[in-house]
Amino acid sequence: MCNAFGIVNFEGLNVQIKGLTDYRPAGAISFLGRYRLIDFPISNLSNSGVNHIQVHIKNKPRSLIEHLGTGRHYNINSKRGKLHILPARSDVESGFYNHDIACYMYNMHAIEQVNYPYVILVPSHMIYRMDYADLLEKHVESGADITMVYQSVDNAKEAYMDCDVLNLNKQKGVLGIEKNRGNYKSRNISLETYVLAKDLFIDLVCKAANTSSLYWFRDIINDQCSELDIRAVAHRGFFACINDFKSYFEANMSLLDIDKAMDLFDEEWPMYTRTSDSCPTQYYPTSNVKNSFVSNGCTIEGTVENCVIGRGCTVKKGSVLKNCVISPGVTIGEDVSIENVVVDKNARIVRKKELIGEAGNPLYVKRDDRI
Amino acid sequence: MRQNNMLAMILAGGRGTRLEALTKKIAKPAVYYGGKYRIIDFPLSNCANSNINVVGVLTQYESVLLNSYAAAGSRWGLDARDSGVYVLPPREKDGAAFDVYRGTADAISQNIDFIDSHSPDYVLILSGDHIYKMDYSKMLSYHRQSDADATIAVLPVPMKEASRFGIMNTDEDGRIVEFEEKPEHPKSNLASMGIYIFDWKQLRKMLVADMDDPESNHDFGKDIIPKMLSEDKRLFAYQFKGYWKDVGTIDSLWEANMDLLSKNNELDLNDSTWKIYTEDVATVPQYIGKDAKVENSYINQGCMVNGNVKNSVLFTSVKVAKDACVEDAVLMPNVVVGEGAVIHRAIVAQGVKIDPGAVVGDPNSEHIELISKRVR
Repeated sequence: MCNAFGIVNFEGLNVQIKGLTDYRPAGAISFLGRYRLIDFPISNLSNSGVNHIQVHIKNKPRSLIEHLGTGRHYNINSKRGKLHILPARSDVESGFYNHDIACYMYNMHAIEQVNYPYVILVPSHMIYRMDYADLLEKHVESGADITMVYQSVDNAKEAYMDCDVLNLNKQKGVLGIEKNRGNYKSRNISLETYVLAKDLFIDLVCKAANTSSLYWFRDIINDQCSELDIRAVAHRGFFACINDFKSYFEANMSLLDIDKAMDLFDEEWPMYTRTSDSCPTQYYPTSNVKNSFVSNGCTIEGTVENCVIGRGCTVKKGSVLKNCVISPGVTIGEDVSIENVVVDKNARIVRKKELIGEAGNPLYVKRDDRI
Repeated sequence: MRQNNMLAMILAGGRGTRLEALTKKIAKPAVYYGGKYRIIDFPLSNCANSNINVVGVLTQYESVLLNSYAAAGSRWGLDARDSGVYVLPPREKDGAAFDVYRGTADAISQNIDFIDSHSPDYVLILSGDHIYKMDYSKMLSYHRQSDADATIAVLPVPMKEASRFGIMNTDEDGRIVEFEEKPEHPKSNLASMGIYIFDWKQLRKMLVADMDDPESNHDFGKDIIPKMLSEDKRLFAYQFKGYWKDVGTIDSLWEANMDLLSKNNELDLNDSTWKIYTEDVATVPQYIGKDAKVENSYINQGCMVNGNVKNSVLFTSVKVAKDACVEDAVLMPNVVVGEGAVIHRAIVAQGVKIDPGAVVGDPNSEHIELISKRVR
């Protein structure tokens, strides 16, 4: 048991994943074939003993609500626990006003009602494994007002554009939050994960709402850095921030390095997802599969190299797939060659026999597309 | 959704002795099949897909695992308000000696009170150890149309094998005129599948009479069906078309798994209109490594394949190390095959380790080897 409830926040305006976010919130994006991004934060919370989890949804809630359901598959107790889906106001005129503070204010009654003294805020578009019970313990022991989590990276010039960066003092106190503009190689990327007392959280949300109608939660935290004792804890190990199309593709690909995958996935720390009751995957005599993650329910007759294949995909005879991320339900027809392509849900590539993207710049095939 | 007032009783008490070590600690219906399933998933999923709400599971032999497995009705969607899976091992009763289930019919007789409490019009009797997909609601329509007292599902088998089965001889309307258990000279090739629909009121009477009959074996095939025929009741044969397997031996369990490898196989577990449901496990997708070679195989989630796998079925989270060679084999959940190990024509039981370099099974053997202990 963990003396906190969880809030899974939606992504900020800096997260724009070409195509994929046109249809769904970031949390509902398919990842590594069988998961959706939101499975990782919810599994972390559930495995940490957090029994009450709120998921705030900004817009296009359909696929996320369908995926989350009652939350039973996340090992959340059906009586003592709760997976609470809280949609934002639907009548906000402009996307700029549609931020997390607006959603928290709109759902304030649901936040006030929760009977836990602490809250753990986590993002829906970042993938990492973390025990929040440990984090809460550190937070309480330290006496800090707020504890944040960051990861030191040395490729901030090419990646994590517009993500939050923490400026820390030697004692890991947070001096301020800024946006990564790609000016420095080494930066402390914020995991947008916060632990604080529920009462302080509510105070800050109200304060943000009174300060500016454009404030996100990170803005009020930034304002309060000199007033409050805000500390940061480093996360080590696999971490992926899915903030654009490139990072989405690369995060999938990076897990084909099996050591990285073993770092994220731990047998004692299962990552849950909704089952689709699909059968095992069938490899036919003509199949040739190397260095790939393949989900259940697929039938594979072609060649697959360095790919991530979603549930229920069909890869027909003579086809060749290299460096591709294939979402669930996709069909790749006979003698089709594709390379460096992200194929969205239920698309069919049959007639067009070749689709080759550049190595650092993959192509995108839309949901339900017929090619 | 309101249902068709038919209750199902699954006979799941059998040991399956010829499955050797696989059924040492678990009953046959709990044996693994098809990369991710247990055999009992088939009748339970069929019930769920046929709109049957209430399912009793009659367990006896080594029932601890099976009881807890079957009781989680939500796995098969049998968990709506007026739905459920009820696990029914033999129990002590007021005014009667505590006894095991003496036969298939006795297992039902001892649970008359359970069936009465749901007041069904029809009772469907199933076996927990058969692999097949069947819509029982169609069989019920047939039962109603024929105004039958009992309907028995039958499978046409090759005439030369008919003497291994209980054979139903019917008239042109499908009415059963004679039942012969393993006849030397079969008159028809319609084998009983051990699937019966009874009118509950009639069956109840028969069972009450059968319970105290000292001559009876308390068995549907040996006692109840012949008695109904002798009383000139209306018994009809319902012809089933499709894949059906009773896996009695290690060889036939292996064969049934291999059946899944052929393209367009009859069982078709990938059919989205008739899914077979099972336990949901949280594992990563399967990973096929850089040096792996996978050919004509059926592989489940959580597997990590770095070696060669050919004509094989790999269950959840099987690990095959580099340079290992797995051919014509069934590897049950969590089997670990070490570097350079070689497996041919074998079933490897759950969790068994095959150490690096070990050689298991024989490519030329007639029978399939069962490996149930670590091989060094």
